[in-house]
Amino acid sequence: MPLTSQPIDTSIYATITAAIRSEASRLFTAAEVVAIIGYAAARRVGSAQPVIITDAAAAETLIFTEACVNNLAVYLTKAKKEIPKKGKIGIIVKGCDLKALVGLMGESQLKREDLYLIGIPCAGVLASAVQPATTLTTETIASKCCECDVHLPLGCDFVPSVTLPPGPQMESRYSEEIARLEALTPAERWAYWKEQFAKCIKCYACRQICPFCFCEQCLCDRNKPQMVETTPRPAGNTAWHIVRAMHLAGRCAGCAECERVCPMDIPLNLLNRKMAKELKELYDYEAGFEINDKGPLTMFTEKDDQSFIK
Amino acid sequence: MQKYITQQNLNTLIDTLIASGTRVVAPRMSAGIPLYEPLDSSVEMVTDQLPRRSAKEAFFPVCEEIMSYEKEGQQIKLTDIDPARFPETVLVGVRPCDAAAIPVLDAVFSWDYKDEFFLERRRKTTVIGLACTTADDACFCTAVGLSPAETRGSDLFLIPLNGGGFACQSYSEKGEALISNNSALFSEPNNAAPLPLAAPQADKIDLKKVKSWLDGHFEDTLWDGIAVRCVGCGACAFVCPACHCFDIVDEGTEKAGKRRKSWDACGFWKFTHHASGHNPRDLQPKRYRNRIMHKFKYYDDKFGQTLCTGCGRCVRVCPVGIDIAAIVEEISKK
Repeated sequence: MPLTSQPIDTSIYATITAAIRSEASRLFTAAEVVAIIGYAAARRVGSAQPVIITDAAAAETLIFTEACVNNLAVYLTKAKKEIPKKGKIGIIVKGCDLKALVGLMGESQLKREDLYLIGIPCAGVLASAVQPATTLTTETIASKCCECDVHLPLGCDFVPSVTLPPGPQMESRYSEEIARLEALTPAERWAYWKEQFAKCIKCYACRQICPFCFCEQCLCDRNKPQMVETTPRPAGNTAWHIVRAMHLAGRCAGCAECERVCPMDIPLNLLNRKMAKELKELYDYEAGFEINDKGPLTMFTEKDDQSFIK
Repeated sequence: MQKYITQQNLNTLIDTLIASGTRVVAPRMSAGIPLYEPLDSSVEMVTDQLPRRSAKEAFFPVCEEIMSYEKEGQQIKLTDIDPARFPETVLVGVRPCDAAAIPVLDAVFSWDYKDEFFLERRRKTTVIGLACTTADDACFCTAVGLSPAETRGSDLFLIPLNGGGFACQSYSEKGEALISNNSALFSEPNNAAPLPLAAPQADKIDLKKVKSWLDGHFEDTLWDGIAVRCVGCGACAFVCPACHCFDIVDEGTEKAGKRRKSWDACGFWKFTHHASGHNPRDLQPKRYRNRIMHKFKYYDDKFGQTLCTGCGRCVRVCPVGIDIAAIVEEISKK
């Protein structure tokens, strides 16, 4: 049963905004970074968008609000050739975003010493379904924030000194939905996902926003030979989402960007959370907490479950 | 022709059309989101939310088969799709921003090459537009010269009235035929005032000025500033009522398969990737520039109008908050 909607105190975000502006200005003045990836206000009331600033004057445009939903780690990977790579890059990270950076460091995509991490004590951000000007409540909050275990990112170079007010009790939306799906018969579960994948239009927003989808050529873009049908049809859509879920198993730490950006509202993070749950049960492994150069699916130990070998 | 129709009679019209074998496409809920889809009954229609995808898919589906092949021994059998099998369709409850995009697509698909798949569906479809009563701050139809009561692209246009029912006006022979073939469901216009229409808070942009700036600024730092944040997905193009690029691929085995046409997007890295390996739009700013150039310059050069109806869908879905209305406004002030 959903709890009655309760407000979430985000009054610290104004203090955080002031602190990141002054830290950003200091970093440029001291020539400690060449760019900072952060958030700035956009045209729509209350909205925020990613911004890459390269001088102290632009520090004043930085903000942190409940509309700062993006995981900016994506800008450090892939074809983001436009970002200057001639020095340290500063990046604003929430706890969930930091988990992705930790994973990317483990996969040798980033070096800690190339980054200046500005951590955000975070009370939560808005769900994608609501207008950007909405007040943050237990109802309007993003699902990932309901089960957040990293309100305060650890190991950053700078964290604004604020005290996170205690938050209200929240429902565990993903855990409850996974439990509901697990209780279905395979045929019912298949019917559910078939209906969801049928909506997919292959816009690849899920892939493009994912910090872990950094393959230079995605398997699903190959046409000689074609591995996965590229047209938005049930067969290719299903193959695409399953390939992605498998490829993210043990790597995805749940920033839920894929789900946030899906214009067709496919609950993609459910697949990722289910895979994470399996990894936890099988290998006692959770992604995003420490820099590991090998994940459970890329190494073998004798303690691994071998019951499937007959 | 000006008439009045009650909500109940509109529902009867829809159900009568469905019963007679006409495909009636209207916004309805589909796995949790509103989409323009064929209705099974008038009760499914939802008109209080903008569908996530535009009405273009009634003529230009997300994916369609255009041919199939079969190989038997040394014989290859090719089978064309017969457009004659496309059903007679009535598209109901189309938002003005979606309806206005239909003539924009007509121009492209009937230009040098006549796209029989698009044109046959178009010929067989009657469009019933519905004045818009709900807008949010992503909406900007008024900025590109349209309005919540824009009738362009509609064969019949409905305006919801205070006290229920709709004022309806036909704008084409198809619209008049729909009224005369179902005349018992329509009555003479009454004097009821229309419900308050949506009021998008977007001031009209001087699109001529935008175009003249674009004419001279293929190379400009603006593109880098905007597009450095673009992650290169196709969400904006796919939800757009006017974007019309498509890809054609053969899918199947050596023995049998199908040739399919599906939506494509200029934001994709692969969109301009040549077989040689060269990519003329090698960085995202070049790809994003094409999006703006195509909408506000190239299309205007060729067809004398703008390839954007201000529905705001791309603004809402962009994963990184790129706002085409803000960009075009910025250009207009240069």
